[in-house]
Amino acid sequence: MRNGYALSDRAVGLLFIAPFAVTALFFMVYPIVEAIRMAFYSYNPLRPDLTTFVGFSNFAYIFNDPLFWDSFWQATVWTFLSIVFQTVFGVGMALLLHQALPGIAIFRGLLLFPYIVPTVVIALIWRWIFNPEIGVVNHALLGAGVISQPIYWLSTPSMAMASTIMLNVWKYTPFVVICVLARLQSVPLELYDAAKVDGAGPIRRFLDVTLPQLKEVLIVVIVFRTIWTFNKFEEIYLLTKGGPGTSTFNLAVYSFEQSIANLRLGVGAATGVVMMVMLSLGSIIYLRVSGFGEDEKAP
Amino acid sequence: MSKSEFWTLTRRLASYAVLCAVTFVVCFPLVWALSTSLKPKSEIFATPPTLIPRTVTLENYEALLTGRPQYFQSAGQQVSSGTTPAQFFTRWFVNSMIVTLGSTLISITVSTLAAYSLTRFRYWGRNVIPYFSLLGYMVPSIIFVFPLFLVMVQLDLTDSLLSLVLGYVCITLPFCMWLMWAFMRSIPIEIEEAALIDGASRVQVFTQVVLPTALPGIIAASIFSMIVSWNDYLFGRVFLNSLDNLTLTVGVMLFFEGTHVDWGLLMAASVLMTLPMAILFMALQRHLVAGFGAGAVKG
Repeated sequence: MRNGYALSDRAVGLLFIAPFAVTALFFMVYPIVEAIRMAFYSYNPLRPDLTTFVGFSNFAYIFNDPLFWDSFWQATVWTFLSIVFQTVFGVGMALLLHQALPGIAIFRGLLLFPYIVPTVVIALIWRWIFNPEIGVVNHALLGAGVISQPIYWLSTPSMAMASTIMLNVWKYTPFVVICVLARLQSVPLELYDAAKVDGAGPIRRFLDVTLPQLKEVLIVVIVFRTIWTFNKFEEIYLLTKGGPGTSTFNLAVYSFEQSIANLRLGVGAATGVVMMVMLSLGSIIYLRVSGFGEDEKAP
Repeated sequence: MSKSEFWTLTRRLASYAVLCAVTFVVCFPLVWALSTSLKPKSEIFATPPTLIPRTVTLENYEALLTGRPQYFQSAGQQVSSGTTPAQFFTRWFVNSMIVTLGSTLISITVSTLAAYSLTRFRYWGRNVIPYFSLLGYMVPSIIFVFPLFLVMVQLDLTDSLLSLVLGYVCITLPFCMWLMWAFMRSIPIEIEEAALIDGASRVQVFTQVVLPTALPGIIAASIFSMIVSWNDYLFGRVFLNSLDNLTLTVGVMLFFEGTHVDWGLLMAASVLMTLPMAILFMALQRHLVAGFGAGAVKG
């Protein structure tokens, strides 16, 4: 940055930032401030005239609500298992795709494709292939003799949880693949040559050369994905609506149901504030490990 | 054939076998959806199910595109008698297109101008804003969708496509901003200085020097923005309510409201919904590969 040049026409600079400033203030900062403020009010959208300041009672309500804690633990399980599978599959697929083979670009395209499929579409396809009576998955499993009774994928609590995890893993593993693949391509080849000279086999080379090189990107990816996965709404709501019962509720679904079904926007907002607090903790970890985020990749 | 050649060949074949297996598993849900969408009603429920339709028919697509009111006699309360969700499909498709393109255009324009300003001019906060923007991107939509909805109520914009355009700007702008900022920062400033010294105006410099150089960043941000807007369900669900104004994601979920679910029609809708993103993805693939760097050619 050169001084004379940079200071020359401040007006243009301010003019260019103005649309962003206005949009950010009205449609980003204000709603978030409002979301926090609403958490301290009793707010029914049908009776805005009855809005009253209630202090921390919305928070007291959710912390005393067993469903809130169920949602919290279910979200934790959902997030943990999703991240484990995404990371393992993601690294595996990245290693597979990181080979100089003719036609690898086609495989890469096909394996990254799920990332851009609308969640609504995945949820519809999931409901179709995991349909207990007519779905192809049960057909195949019954036919192969793996199971003797159809599995009720979306109507038993544990299987519904498994189905939403599968949906999530299927859709977001490509994100891990993209990040890991980008990193793999910048690992110096000399490291592998040196390891080969030292007589290291493929597994040793992976553990001693590849994995340490991937450590940084994996931490970033895992922190990012944990934050996002924990707060996902559509991936659960569109597939199971949080059901059967409330067995796949997470905090986002809980907040949505409080706001829409129970018309308690204040309680929904308080849940949102709890989510934001946890998200901030995650972000702090992220900023720590990434050195204030100098070089992240686009998703 | 020498021993090492033999091993190379074996390893390649093994790699292809694993790649094909993984690709099959990953792509199966999409292939199955496509297959179902091309089957006549009788074959959809055939036992055993067929992956390649015995009879290929376009009747499901025809029903969607012409709005043939054949199914859904008892669709849910939102759908009055005599109308079916299928009748609105093309309308919803156009709506989705409008909000996707509209919000992307705004997000890209605003973020490009802002990123240029932040990287080329000196004022207070210019190094902090991008990081706050990134934090804004981490905040899940569920937290500010209701406050934002209340903003739309105040602006008298509810149930309008414009409200959705603004909503999508809110979710996409933070990341576009971050991406454009990172990109602009990497563009050397010397060329602009030279052009300015040669007597070019600031606007000329921006349109003729900066924008062409920033094009890859603009494309990446646009693709991101379009995917997010096209795929969103939550905002559409909260902001819109009349059948005419719905977007695809919200509308197609109404197909479930009836007592009878027409899977062929649903899968055809899923395919058509994925198609624009698939086309975009093919364009994106080149940029992805280019972005991964010249290091892609590995021996």
